[in-house]
Amino acid sequence: MSKHSALDTFGRSGNPAFRDHFEGTASNEDTRLSGVMTLEGAVNKTGILLALCFSSAAVTWNIPNTGLMIGGAIVGLILGLVTIFNPRQAAKLAPLYALAQGLFLGGITVIFESQYPGIAVQAIGLTFGTLASLLICYKTGLIKPTENFKLMLVSATSGIFLLYMVNIVMMTFGGGEGIGFIHSNGIMGIGFSLVVVAIAALNLVLDFDFIEQGAEQGIPKYMEWYGAFSLMVTLIWLYLEILRLLAKIRSN
Amino acid sequence: MTIPAITVDANTLIFGLLAVVSLGIFFNLGKFKASKSQTEREDRIDWSVRKYSFSTYFRGCLISGLGIFLIFSLLGYLGFN
Repeated sequence: MSKHSALDTFGRSGNPAFRDHFEGTASNEDTRLSGVMTLEGAVNKTGILLALCFSSAAVTWNIPNTGLMIGGAIVGLILGLVTIFNPRQAAKLAPLYALAQGLFLGGITVIFESQYPGIAVQAIGLTFGTLASLLICYKTGLIKPTENFKLMLVSATSGIFLLYMVNIVMMTFGGGEGIGFIHSNGIMGIGFSLVVVAIAALNLVLDFDFIEQGAEQGIPKYMEWYGAFSLMVTLIWLYLEILRLLAKIRSN
Repeated sequence: MTIPAITVDANTLIFGLLAVVSLGIFFNLGKFKASKSQTEREDRIDWSVRKYSFSTYFRGCLISGLGIFLIFSLLGYLGFN
């Protein structure tokens, strides 16, 4: 299949981060104007987003401020949703998303670090360790994502999202602790966090596959930012879950 | 809130090194194409079409959420706390 014919067929994606918006409108015109997606471009843009995220995280790490932290989380969530529905704007929105999420991550990390010294570097190390390990597994063909793999992973991811939503509703309106095992630091709580970390990590494989195929098929250049954004979403989720898991383990 | 000081101990060195090495692997290996066993196979995901309908994903979401809830609740009920 040639690059250009692929553009016509590369209509919609089922990737959870990309939803159905992997450009049903992608056209030859897009690639003529901006060029085509490459692996190097997507990796470099992920580097830029990581650098932006670390920079803003350093702000709330050094000047802990609850307002900045919560503001970053809310703005990050909104920007994330807008980016998912407007992939063409990813080049502008993804860096802002990374900056906003950095403010949130710096603030939340400083809270965990003050309770459990050394937890931040452990979580960062394990997050990037997972990223590299799964990239090696993917590139070498050790893990081969299939349609069924995607179905199971998207189902499990959205199932966990559903549980978290129910938990928030129970905590807000029920006046209780929500779903016990989500917060527990016992075997069940740690087991649940391990399951969530595993699912978050496997989402990286879907992101790698999307970027790899996007580069193969020569989809428009702006999708490099979208691919990098998708990786950032997964990495941030993975980092937060690892942070929670480590905190549960160390609180025993 | 006081800013926690990062001390350079074995924990920081080991996990810091892990992070740096992992990022090095990502930025280098990420730029290379995946192996043929990954890219040239029949059962590869086709990102251009959605094989399963929205209702299939929705059912999967409900089953997964409920399944996780029931398994962990049951284990908790059996005393695995």
